[in-house]
Order: sequence, then C-alpha cells, then structure tokens
Amino acid sequence: MLTTPERIAFVLVALLSLLLTAHGVSRLVRAIGRGQGRPRWSTFLRRVVPVSFEILLQRPIFRARPLVSLLHAGVFFAFVFYGLVNVLDVAEGFTGFSTLHRGGIAAAYNVVADLLSVAALVGILGLLVRRFGLRPFRFNDRVFLLPSVHFGIARDSAIVGGFILLHVGSRWIGQAVRIAESGRPDWSQPTASLVATLFSSWSDTALAAASHITWWLALGLILAFLPYFPYSKHIHLFMAPLNLILREESPLGRLEPPVTGDGTMGAERLEQLRWYQLLDAYACIMCNRCQDVCPAHGTGRALSPAALEINKRYYLNRNLSAFAGGASSPPLLEIAASKEAVWACTTCAACVRICPVGNRPMLDLIDMRHALVSRGDPIDPNLQAALESLARYGNSFGKPARQRARWAKELPFPIKDARKEPVEYVWFVGDFASFDPRMQENTKTVAQLFHAAGVDFGILYEDERNAGNDVRRVGEEGLFELLVEHNLAALEKAQFRAIVTTDPHTYNALKNEYPAYGLRVPVYHYTEILADLLERGVLRVQQPLAAAVTYHDPCYLGRYNRITGAPRRIIRALGLELREMPRHGANTYCCGAGGGQIWMDSGGQERPSEQRIREAVGLGDDLRYFVVSCPKDMAMYSDAVKTTGYEGRLTVIDVARLVATAVGIDGVARESVSVESEAR
Amino acid sequence: MTIVVVMEQVPDVAEELAIAPSGTDLDRDAISYVVNEYDEHALEEALLLAETSGDEVVAIGIDATGELDQALYTALAKGAQRAIKLTGDFEGTWLSTRTAARLLAPVIEELAPRLVLVGVQAPDDLDGQLAPTLAALLGWPHASVVVGSELVNGMVRVRKELWGGITMLLELALPAVLGIQAARQAPRYVPVSRVRQVMREASIEVRDVEVTSDLAPVPVRLRFPEETGQAELLTGSASEIADRLIELLRARGLL
Repeated sequence: MLTTPERIAFVLVALLSLLLTAHGVSRLVRAIGRGQGRPRWSTFLRRVVPVSFEILLQRPIFRARPLVSLLHAGVFFAFVFYGLVNVLDVAEGFTGFSTLHRGGIAAAYNVVADLLSVAALVGILGLLVRRFGLRPFRFNDRVFLLPSVHFGIARDSAIVGGFILLHVGSRWIGQAVRIAESGRPDWSQPTASLVATLFSSWSDTALAAASHITWWLALGLILAFLPYFPYSKHIHLFMAPLNLILREESPLGRLEPPVTGDGTMGAERLEQLRWYQLLDAYACIMCNRCQDVCPAHGTGRALSPAALEINKRYYLNRNLSAFAGGASSPPLLEIAASKEAVWACTTCAACVRICPVGNRPMLDLIDMRHALVSRGDPIDPNLQAALESLARYGNSFGKPARQRARWAKELPFPIKDARKEPVEYVWFVGDFASFDPRMQENTKTVAQLFHAAGVDFGILYEDERNAGNDVRRVGEEGLFELLVEHNLAALEKAQFRAIVTTDPHTYNALKNEYPAYGLRVPVYHYTEILADLLERGVLRVQQPLAAAVTYHDPCYLGRYNRITGAPRRIIRALGLELREMPRHGANTYCCGAGGGQIWMDSGGQERPSEQRIREAVGLGDDLRYFVVSCPKDMAMYSDAVKTTGYEGRLTVIDVARLVATAVGIDGVARESVSVESEAR
Repeated sequence: MTIVVVMEQVPDVAEELAIAPSGTDLDRDAISYVVNEYDEHALEEALLLAETSGDEVVAIGIDATGELDQALYTALAKGAQRAIKLTGDFEGTWLSTRTAARLLAPVIEELAPRLVLVGVQAPDDLDGQLAPTLAALLGWPHASVVVGSELVNGMVRVRKELWGGITMLLELALPAVLGIQAARQAPRYVPVSRVRQVMREASIEVRDVEVTSDLAPVPVRLRFPEETGQAELLTGSASEIADRLIELLRARGLL
C-alpha cells in the first residue's frame, strides 16, 4: 500500500509521463503520415486477427536464429502478460489488493507471472550478453552510417535492455520482498519464494521500505521510460505488429507505380517514400538479419538493408519535430544509403523475406533508383548501353529484334508463329534464352522437349521484347512501360490459352506486373510444364540418371513466386539424387544478377555466384551437377565455376538438358549433353 | 546566346544492310536509323557547355530519312531548348556532305549562334567534311577532332587531337564551328518517360528547304566489301593446337 503523498506523486508523474509520451507518439504518427499514400482500414480489419495470431506464435521471428528467437520469445511473452501484471500492481499500490497467498485464478495468475518474469530476465540477459559481449552486429566498412548511429545503436540497446532488466527484476524481487513480509512462501510464486529466503533475516521496517522501493522501481521506471519509448527501438512493440498487419497482400513481385503525389518519379527524399516505408524505420529492431542474407553486403559491397532502416530512424529521431511539421528531408543519398549501395541491390528480396517485422528496405532502394534515373543522374555505362539497346531493339544484347528467334532456325522442325495461328501456349522465351549463345542450346532443348511431348506452342518471333522485370527494378519506369506496351500488343495478335516462359524474371513480370496493364492469362514456368509432362508419362524416362545434384532456386522463382516443387519433382523423376544447399527454397541465395546487376560492372569484386558455388561444393566431392532453371543463372554460374576453379568438378546444367538426356530426345540436345558427360 | 548542334541519322549497322536495286544506295526500306555516334557526342558537349554558360542549345538536322523526329525529341529530352528539322524532297537522292552543308548553312546563319557543334565524321562522311564545309560557307573559324571545349573570355578554347595522341590546345574567335570527336563525358542517358513527355509537350520547328544542283559527285555504284577468307580459331588441348598449327604451316610450305 502506498502512502498518500506517494499516490499523489504517482498520479502526477503518470500524467506528466503520459502527456510527454502522447506528444512523442503524435509527432511520430505525423512524421509517418508525411509518407505517400494511406493505410487501408479494410486491410487492418481483415488481417488483425490472423496476423496477431502469427505474432503471438512468434512465427516471423523464428524464421531464423532459433536460439536468439527463443530468448526473444521469453521477453515477448512476459511483456504481453506484464500488461496485466502492471495494472494489478498499480491497483495493489493504491488499494492494497494483493494476489499473494490466494488460491484459484489468482494463483494461476501468480504462477504465470512468476515464471514469465524469470523467462524475461533470462531472455534479456541472454540478449544483452549477445549484443554487448559477443558483438555480432557489424557493418562492413563501406556501409554508410549516420554519425549518430555509431554510438546510438549501443546506447539505445543498453537503455532498452537495462529498462527491461530493471523493470522485470524489480517486480520479481518486489514479489519476493512481499512474500518475505508475509512470513511464509507462496507456492504459486515458486521462484520469488526462493528469492524471498534471502530476506528472511530482514527487519519488518527494512522489508516495508524495500517493498516501496521495488514498487517504484518497477512502475516508476515505466513512467520514466515512456516518454523515451517512441524514440527507442522498443517502439517496435507497436510498430512491428502494425507493419505486419497493415501490409497489403499483393505479391512480392508486384511493384507499385513509382509516382509520388507531387508527380515526380521515385523517392529522392524521405517524404517521397510511402507511409509504410517510414513506418519500417520504426518497426526495425536493428537485428541485422536482413544484412546477414544480403548478397550485396555478403560480398563486401556498400549496401546494408539494416543500415538503411537504422539511418532513416536516426535521422527522423533527430529531426522529428521539423519533419513532422512539414520540413523536407535532405536527399536520401545523404542520410539513408550511398549511391553505391543503391546500385548494389540485386532485388533478390532476401531482406524482405527474412525481416521479422515486415520491413521492405529493397523497395526504398528501387524508389531511389527511380529518382536517380528520372532526374538524369549518370548511371553505370554498361547499364546505360543495355537500357539504350532495350529501348531501341527490345533486348539488352544490342541485337536487332529480327534476330530474336534465330536459334529456332537450327531446329529440325518449325516453331509455330503464335501471331499467325492459334496455339495453346505462347512461349515467352526471354532475352538471355534467345540471344546468349550459351543459353541457346538450352532453349533448343526446351523446344525439342515441348515438340516431342506434343505441346501445342508457338513463339512471338521478333515481336517479343524483354518483359521489363529488371528494367523496372533499375528504375527505368518509362522504358518498362514501353516494353509492356510492345509485348501486350504482340500478345494481342496471338490466340492462346496460357503463357510459358523460360525466364523466372520474365515469369515474375508477366505474372505479377502485367495484370496491372491488362494481361489476364495463366503464366507457367517451363519447369512446371516439364514436371507435368513427366508425371503424366507424356515424356518417359528411358534411362534414369544416377548422379548427385543440387538445385539452385532462382530468386524470382523460389522466393518471389514460391515455385520450388516443380524443378525438384523433375529432378527426382529423372532418378537423380537431390542434395539441398543450406540456403534453398524461399531462403535461396541470389546469384547476383538480378535487379539489373547482370548489366552492370561487378567491379572485379567477389560475386555472390562464387559464394554459391562454394556452398554447393560443400555438399560433397561426388556432387556432379549444379542444376539451374534460369538462363541468367546459367550465365552467372557457368562463369562462377570457372573463376572459383571448380570447372570440371561441378557442371552447371539446365534442368531441361537433364530431362532431354533421360528421356532420350534425339538431335541437338542429346549430342551436347553426351559431350558433357564424356568430358567428365 | 545560342549553340547549334547538327544531328544526322545514319543506318544502324547492327541490322543487316542491303543494297537497293538501283545499286547506288542502301535499301532504305530494309534499314533502320540511329543518330550518328559523333553527333551524340557533339550534343553532349553542347549541353555541358550550356550548363555553365547558360546558352540555348538548338538541335538541327536534315530529315532525309523521314524519322528524324525521334532523334530531335531525344535531343530536347536531354536538354536542348529548340529543335529544327529541314524537310524537302530528298526521296531517292543521296545527300552529299557538301549538299547537306549548303542546306544547313543559311538556317544556322539565321540562328546567329556563337558555336556550331558537329560530329567529327559520319558513316557517309568518313572524311569529316561537314564541319569544315560549314565553316567555309559561314566564313567562321573551325577546328576538328575536338575532344573538349570551354568558353573563355569571348573565345572558345578547344582540345584537338593530333597524331599519336598528342593534343593541341587552340583558341578560336566566336562564332566558330567545331567537329567533335568526343565529349568530355559519355553522352548522358535520357529516361524514356522524359522523351515521351517531350513528345507530348514540345514541338519541332520545320523549315522547308530545296536541294539545288551543285558540284556534288554522283554515285555510280555501292558495294559491300568482298569476303576475303576467314579466321580459324584453334581449339582443344595444347598439343592438339600445336599439331594443327604444324599441319597448317606445312600445308603452306612454311615448314
């Protein structure tokens, strides 16, 4: 029971604290509101229950780092329950009502509170030891960080960790003191009762004083902490669930048009980001999981998605009242990420997939590219050449459109012109599969397989253009639209039921981006068609292949579009032994070619594809094939086995070539595969 | 003040070229056009000069292809303030450089620029005559193979390339005509959306011109180079390549 002066003091301090907190929160809400667009309440209503359930189960957190996630779960569950504990403790201070030594529901409450207090203490101690003892959080030297971030992360972590430790610790010891005061252990609070034995020799006055002190430490601390709360990373407590709940259920591979309210393209400044991209900064808990999976950071480039969010947060915190009041931010390139970082992103979306709080730092980078490209900032010369070629010829190879289907001339049968006769499938071949001489063999193999299986397919010949997936992701929206218009006009001429494509990037664009422009047809990846043909027995395995292989999921297939089963079904149907790399399926590792990187100069640095080949080599000396299902992967990994010195030991091969060998297709495909098998 | 850039469209050699039945011209129906690479550099240099001097950049070209608009809109999108195309009855005629210069000179004179930038050469002007011919017609000083320029004290200071990579710094009185070999930096990228915006909002001025008979030579025949053998790439192991090499040398009586 508190004394009257104590009660008055608590009420006054509480009022002041809540007032300050409300002020902070309102500034924060106004700051986030400066972003483009508005959240939709219908989304909130639809998602609040299922997403809250996910969060209660801690599913987003357990996607990675199981041990750390367990420590977090201890703190998390304690905090959820402490909502009730704190209310009852205040009530106890004011009315003297106590759950001590009561049975029934009060005892149940006591048990839970007691055990969760220990879980929180163990959890937060573990997390603090990890952060300050093991120091797992490092950015590479090239990553841009605001000066305030360097010390800020440690300070914020120390304050938040210290607060949790003191708050929960004081409450826990406070209960022990009250048990000691009562003179007998409370069976419903086993750990507190154990601690209470420490106070058995204390006088009544000492215990009464300790009871007051621990009460004030536990609850007064909340009042002291609350005004800081909106500026601390602890705000993730609200912002992370909000971020997860308010997220629209649109596919990961669908970008919103990059036009801001004032008509400019992309985001040059904070206020040109969308509201949820500003919310991201406050949902971020600085766990750096995104950085761990980022292929750009992993190969020493200047990009850290974590640093991007943290920089945004620290800039906002330091300039919150001005920004919330309507002031323009400095360019994002000066406060969030360097230009080098912006151009290092492969748009692999690993950061988006892994983030436990639903952040999408990749979108900021793409928006920044849109701003750079549209205001004419100089771009990588190779990228410029690719874009100019795409604008002129519709492909990045600088080849006339008329040469697009040249590979088809080398086949012993004609391929239908989908513009001239009806077909079941329009085969959207894609740039790399059409023009790159190394890929054309695979393309012919796919054609032969389709032909042998009697698939009714045709191509668009010179009317096909690059689908524009990566053009959009380098920030050239106008060119993307131009390509979409061309392709839709070409598809308009054709009569077909569905599209099949060789290229996962093309697949993503046609499946997720084109519907906004009016395309409404089923889109398949060729592995889906091949798997189906094998399973229906249309393509029959004549000679099962016996070899150990691994399969690389392309980002735009495995992670973006969750097509992970079909290629694996093919591999098993052929009799091959599939060994998974540690990073596979939706957690695949990028080859480094996406988001336009394939057109840019890698600057002689290590490439993600080289790391990936080493990952595959680690699966055993007898692993023979590195199986791919993306023409860009074929290009990237063929190079990477050479540069890593594993040529001859590991063969990069398109899944279609394996199918052709196993089913015994005559002609081009078989010859070239048998050459490969002889060579080994 | 004004800087004029002359833009010419030339056949895109990435496409397959064919000779027209007449035998004196390319088959114009089968080819597509790009802006002459050196003219892109001339435009870039003009834009860079104008960025510091505040001059107005005027892109001008003879529409011998019927497709010059695209090139001029792109120039406008990159930052030129005006675009002028000269139209006339050019169908089936091969415009010699001299004829082109005669068509351009009066229009340029009327614009009263202080600088005229021209690509140093073009596929149909490998001898690089356009800049000097224009300069002669206008009576202005001229420098060609220019790789950088600067407006200083009412003069233009240019870097001109000589043999063996030697560069010479020259000063020319204004107005002057420059044949640009390379701009100080690579021609800029212009986003498609901006070109499209310019196509909606800006307009190209049109001047009708007339080709008068002059001293231009008359083409008699156009011919592709004859294939003169092919290089053979030796592949295989070192000893296989060595064997093949010896065989080849023997076959030619060199061993």
